Amino acid sequence: MSGRRRLEVLTLLAPALILTLVVFVLPLMRFMALAFTAPDGAFATFATLAESPVYRRVMLNSFVIAAVVTAITAALAWPLAYMLARVRGVWFTLMIYGVLFPLWISILVRTYSWMLLLERNGPVNRAIQAAGLSDTPLPLLFNHTGVLIGMVHVLLPYMVLPLYGAMRAIDPRLMQASDGLGAGLWQSFRRIWLPLSLPGLAGGATFVFLLSLGFYITPALLGGKTSIMLPTLIVAFITEQFNWPMAAAASITLLAAVTALMLVATRFLKLDRGMFAR
Amino acid sequence: MTETTGLALGLRALTKRYGPVTALEPTDLDIGAGEFLTLLGPSGSGKTTLLNLIAGYTEPSGGTIRIGARDVTRTPARHRNIGMVFQSYALFPHMTVAQNLAYGLEARRVPKAEIARRVEAALALMQLEGYGNRGVQQMSGGQQQRVAVARALVIEPDVLLMDEPLGALDRQLRRQVQVELRRLHLKHGRTTIYVTHDQEEALVLSDRIAVMGKGRIQQLGSAAELYARPANSFIAGFIGESNLPEARVTSVAGGMALADIPALGLSIEAPVVPGVAPGAPARLMIRPEHLRLLPDAGEGQDAGEGIGARIIEVIYLGELTQFGLETSRGAFLVARGMEGRGLRQGDTVRLGWSPRDVLIVPDTGP
Amino acid sequence: MNRLPLLWRIAANMATMAVLAFLVAPILAVIPASFNKASFIYLPPKEWSVLWYGRFFDDAEWLRALMNSLKLAALATLVAAPVGTLAALGLTRAGRRLALVSSGVFLAPMVVPIIIVAVSIYRSALDVGMNGSLLALVLSHAVLALPFVVINVGISLRGVNPAWPLAAAGLGAGPWRIFRTVTMPVILPGIAGGAVFSFMTSFDEAVLTIFLADHSTTTLPVKLWETVRLEFTPVLAVAAVVMIGLSVALFILGQALARRNGEKA
Repeated sequence: MSGRRRLEVLTLLAPALILTLVVFVLPLMRFMALAFTAPDGAFATFATLAESPVYRRVMLNSFVIAAVVTAITAALAWPLAYMLARVRGVWFTLMIYGVLFPLWISILVRTYSWMLLLERNGPVNRAIQAAGLSDTPLPLLFNHTGVLIGMVHVLLPYMVLPLYGAMRAIDPRLMQASDGLGAGLWQSFRRIWLPLSLPGLAGGATFVFLLSLGFYITPALLGGKTSIMLPTLIVAFITEQFNWPMAAAASITLLAAVTALMLVATRFLKLDRGMFAR
Repeated sequence: MTETTGLALGLRALTKRYGPVTALEPTDLDIGAGEFLTLLGPSGSGKTTLLNLIAGYTEPSGGTIRIGARDVTRTPARHRNIGMVFQSYALFPHMTVAQNLAYGLEARRVPKAEIARRVEAALALMQLEGYGNRGVQQMSGGQQQRVAVARALVIEPDVLLMDEPLGALDRQLRRQVQVELRRLHLKHGRTTIYVTHDQEEALVLSDRIAVMGKGRIQQLGSAAELYARPANSFIAGFIGESNLPEARVTSVAGGMALADIPALGLSIEAPVVPGVAPGAPARLMIRPEHLRLLPDAGEGQDAGEGIGARIIEVIYLGELTQFGLETSRGAFLVARGMEGRGLRQGDTVRLGWSPRDVLIVPDTGP
Repeated sequence: MNRLPLLWRIAANMATMAVLAFLVAPILAVIPASFNKASFIYLPPKEWSVLWYGRFFDDAEWLRALMNSLKLAALATLVAAPVGTLAALGLTRAGRRLALVSSGVFLAPMVVPIIIVAVSIYRSALDVGMNGSLLALVLSHAVLALPFVVINVGISLRGVNPAWPLAAAGLGAGPWRIFRTVTMPVILPGIAGGAVFSFMTSFDEAVLTIFLADHSTTTLPVKLWETVRLEFTPVLAVAAVVMIGLSVALFILGQALARRNGEKA
């Protein structure tokens, strides 16, 4: 009986497992193994990555941009998530669709839109000049500014949704109780609302940071030579230098960073309640 | 009811273990055709395990199950011809009432015309005429319950199993449905095993009650037998209410025992049930309605001396009044009756009882 | 919470509106852009026209890219939906450890940065000579879509009360009849929702396809990517509007299915 059940379970799982293993896991392993096949030694690729100031700048760039994107999305997502958790009815429907809708639009389309908006003579620059904020068109495209605007726009929903989830789970009676116990508005916010919404913030921040690190399309289209990030570097190794070992080494570095961050995040997500709720 | 024309269900040494945990100790049970038997017990007593074993949803670790002449121990649930009413009803939400009822008949490849006829008959039996095309989620809780019973009955099962079928209903509705289920059983006359933790339900419905506790049947008998002669302190406390002060038995002879009751500070002679022996832990069972309150000045007539006690609680229950009493030794007792209306909290009284109304039972522990 | 001072409430409302506008408005900018009459994009257009829609639908290359996208998305969904449904069913029946390991494998393509997934599959496709082939594209898109099906069907399976299959068995139904009459109808919206997600994932996928597609299998997003830095005519905006139109249609379908799924669960 339990043998038959096991067979049934394996039969159900087999197509998906085989598909994923053959088309994803196996190619991933084969690709990563290339990092250790450079002619000048198994770890030569990693040594090059670590020693070259150019590559080091790219890596630093990646983390700085990811961190800045995370911080900006957090700041923008906070009021939106807060309102989402409070409103009901039509307003809620409109707002949640406003958050979900962009997720359904191709990243390429979203990025292309920003190219139209941010160009030298685009509407954004014209608005800035019309408002008298600048006399000449600002360089908004093909630099850090463009990358940040585009990435924040694409990643904002990933911050809003977990934050909203955490805020909605806060029982409004807790704030009433805090009120009833004589706490002021600021104190109630700081002691109740903030600590209880922090898990959502941590989840969203992890999401956004990880996705930022792996972003390719948006930085490639909106960024310039100074805003190269790791994925762009990986592609450049392959398409420009035909250097697969270096591409694999850079990928392993990126994957290692992502994995380490995820481990830390899961740790942090479990601890935070105890850390912040006094 | 108890027209026991033959054996409907027979269990022999039926056992269920989950690793080191025994959910059901080896259990024997015979149920007569047409009988309504209730498995009564608290949660974790093994009653649901027993029901699932009979239904075929759980495989036994040992023992046999017979339905009529068939040994079904290894038969999968779908071939047992058993009707099950789940606590959650488990009605299929995407089907109408009639489709739910037809489900078991379709699985049995009954011809369409006969399915329609039998579904109609089942709807009529449950007073659900005209509801056939309703979605089950549009039905009220009480109606859903009747659909669940109808679905189990329409396949003409050899045994009808019901797992706390009234658990999801509110108290008032539950009383009404109890009476309906009883009448229904008289009509269809199918062998029924009913699981509940509610003793009132068990008393209203059953021909016989199997009180379950700690993975075994503690006592099997009619409601009156269980109430009058509980086999041990567990049943005395579970069927009806009882005062159960500790009894130190000194001797047993001819169905009577001599025992010291430390909480009351007296020695008495009282009837016993099997299993009571000198030195073995035992308790004195005094039902609250058998405890009499006598004015402090008076003499206890039946119980010799009578015991002094103070009223610490008076609860009016309508036609009855319940008194919480503290004896001079610090024991807490409950009395209930129509007398004593004039008594108030703080009054002192003397307690008495008739010796034939008390019983010494083995102590099964807490 | 309602005693938040008025000024704060106004500030919070305005901030919310601003952020919402930031989320939605830029995406819609391509719509007016696509109606430019001029051969370069000016926002808002000085002269409106549907000229470039004609150009898009007359251009064999854009049309082929669109058809390739639709065909690829449909095929990837045809693979991912049944395979993912079976996997979700398997996961609910599997023991804890097997379920944990398997779902880890299924979800991994979602977690690993897409660029790494892309170049890995690209390399292996090169090695076995399948680069540019439809089969390689279909299978790799199916892998990316698989987690959405597994998650969606998994959610709808939670709507199946464990007592229902037991009740059906008690009424005499065998395993296949139970699946057909009890499980399947309840999880159908979940499967459909997963299929919509699959289709969308494949239709919008750009990174992997940039590497894997060749001239004959190129998709709409890849064509957009290839021309975006060379061409400044509104035809690109038209392509973007076509993609948005399809996304919106699928979004509405997905929401409707999600609601049905939620009701059943």
